[in-house]
Amino acid sequence: MKRFTRGLLPLTVANIKSFYRDRASLFWTLAFPVIFVFLFGSLFSGNGPDTFSVGWVDDDRSPASAQLRESFGAVELLELTDASEEEALSQMRAGDLDAVVVVPAGLGGALQPGAPPAQPFQLIVYTDPSQSTSSNTVQQVVAQVVGGINQGLSGAPPALAVEPRPIQSDEISAAAYFVPSILAMALMQLGIFASIPLTAQREKQILKRLNATPLSRSTLVASNVLMRLLIALVQTVIIVGIGIVAFDVTIVGPMLIVAAFVVLGSMTFLAIGYVIASYARTEDTANALASVVQFPLMFLSGIFFPIAFMPDWLQPVAAVMPLTYLGDALRQTMVGGAAYVPLSVDFLVLAGWLIVSFLISARFFRWQ
Amino acid sequence: MNEASSVISVAGLRKSYGDVQAVNGIDFEVRPGEVFGLLGPNGAGKTTTIEILEGLNKADSGEIAVLGIDPQRNAAELKERIGVQLQTAALYPNLTVAELIDLFGSFYSKPRPTAELIKRFGLDERQIALTKELSGGQRQRLSVALAMVNDPELMFLDEPTTGLDPQARRALWEQIQELRGEGRTVVLTTHYMEEAEQLCDRVAVMDHGRILEIGTVNELVTRHFRERTIRFASRPELTDERLAPLAAVGRVAREVDETVLYTADVPATIGDLLRVSDELGLEGLDISVRRPTLEDVFLELTGRALRD
Repeated sequence: MKRFTRGLLPLTVANIKSFYRDRASLFWTLAFPVIFVFLFGSLFSGNGPDTFSVGWVDDDRSPASAQLRESFGAVELLELTDASEEEALSQMRAGDLDAVVVVPAGLGGALQPGAPPAQPFQLIVYTDPSQSTSSNTVQQVVAQVVGGINQGLSGAPPALAVEPRPIQSDEISAAAYFVPSILAMALMQLGIFASIPLTAQREKQILKRLNATPLSRSTLVASNVLMRLLIALVQTVIIVGIGIVAFDVTIVGPMLIVAAFVVLGSMTFLAIGYVIASYARTEDTANALASVVQFPLMFLSGIFFPIAFMPDWLQPVAAVMPLTYLGDALRQTMVGGAAYVPLSVDFLVLAGWLIVSFLISARFFRWQ
Repeated sequence: MNEASSVISVAGLRKSYGDVQAVNGIDFEVRPGEVFGLLGPNGAGKTTTIEILEGLNKADSGEIAVLGIDPQRNAAELKERIGVQLQTAALYPNLTVAELIDLFGSFYSKPRPTAELIKRFGLDERQIALTKELSGGQRQRLSVALAMVNDPELMFLDEPTTGLDPQARRALWEQIQELRGEGRTVVLTTHYMEEAEQLCDRVAVMDHGRILEIGTVNELVTRHFRERTIRFASRPELTDERLAPLAAVGRVAREVDETVLYTADVPATIGDLLRVSDELGLEGLDISVRRPTLEDVFLELTGRALRD
């Protein structure tokens, strides 16, 4: 253990210094993803819609509920569509409705004058928290309308209340889709492109020189992993930060699970980077190999458009790409995107790629 | 020889890469406090040999003890006590001189202070320079400084002065002599004869994976050349027939416009030569006497020049 920790921190610091003094690596790992975020952002997110379509579910069917519909219908921001609860929710999941308001049976009785209810009557409002603009607007509008009605019945305790319910649509906003995707891409590149300095260090005999010291190889690898994870963290903060500030993306998932997938994904792609460095003899070959690996990963793994949009014959290709699963996991946990596979499958596939890549590089990686 | 009197002992060392026999059964000892030179042309097996001694490379067969440790079995323990400089200076291009020395120091249990090494190797003015900005001589000095960071009792320097200009080379020679002055044992490889003559207490001449000769430079020269050479600008009057009978002359040779006499007794031959040239009325005979060098020994042993 003492042999393992000796030199670990200084070597990690040295790696980080080498990294930030190298303008090319700084550009590709930090500036490039940021440029991508802004590029995609300006391409896909025009101004938000002027009105929000809201499903209106009336289970009460009383004069009071009809009056309530009139109050909501008067709000210019909302466009009401009558439907059953089941219909409305499925339309919302498909992305055709921004929100659904449900008036449960019993409203008419609750609003009878002179018979104040013990508890306010609950209106149910479904909104999609990953669509922060529509979600917030609809909630506010509903609260205002309900507040107006309560004031109209002055002197009495509030008769109406709102019960908000989150629901996720399949169709998340463009920004909510591409922010986790670009993060996945950046983590992939961080790992894959680690093969280049690694090969260069072998070619220049830096690895051999380190091997002539008591530094152990596991320390050497650990410091590399540590340094890459630290950069991954910086990338995550920058990309997610831009998503929140510039494109109004709401992060829904528990941060711990997001972080766990960031770490797992970074390590998986770093292990793939080691596999590349196991086969590349020179820095130039590593550069070429890394590009050859990253392009199919980028364009065949559904990080820029859903896999369902791909031609049928390409879908099985996407199904084996590790980036498919990192993108899927980050979309699910960060913005509540629809699942391609359950999170546990994302985890298992990424872990599988990590283990296989680790074993291959442990067997074939040459130190000199 | 027991451990106390040898720092390195090697017996029957062999190493091949595929069909190429890089080291083909060599035996030698290195004594405490000496500078031991491995000489030979590129591809002679010098680097392979010292990388095996450093624990960087595995031997196919042979008995090896370095500081009493078998590098094949206990490389980690050995690496704590030796200093290594590789042929191609392996450095982090984007670290500064001081950062790099600090970094290497962190790998050892008792590192020397960075400031002391910077001063000793004349890198004071370059300590905040990135290593990629250093000159060739500064880079080699840094490389030796890194090999010194753990205060090693045994140092391996693989062609430390290759590619340096004469001034930088002499500066590094002084550093190496200082290392010996401190009682450290140094093993160095070189293909510069002059370097070996200046620095090495003993040398081993290698070619095609074998050691052809081991000894002090003097021993090797006298072992192969008991004769000295006397040279002068050729004159038509001094024919081979007139020169061959001179006292102690073993052989007469012609090199371009010089005549070369091989002699076992320099004063007797010169005396005779001056007498004959007086008789012929020749004046201003430009005579020089030369002792054969390692270069000649190498030519004699391998049939080719060392730098080929």
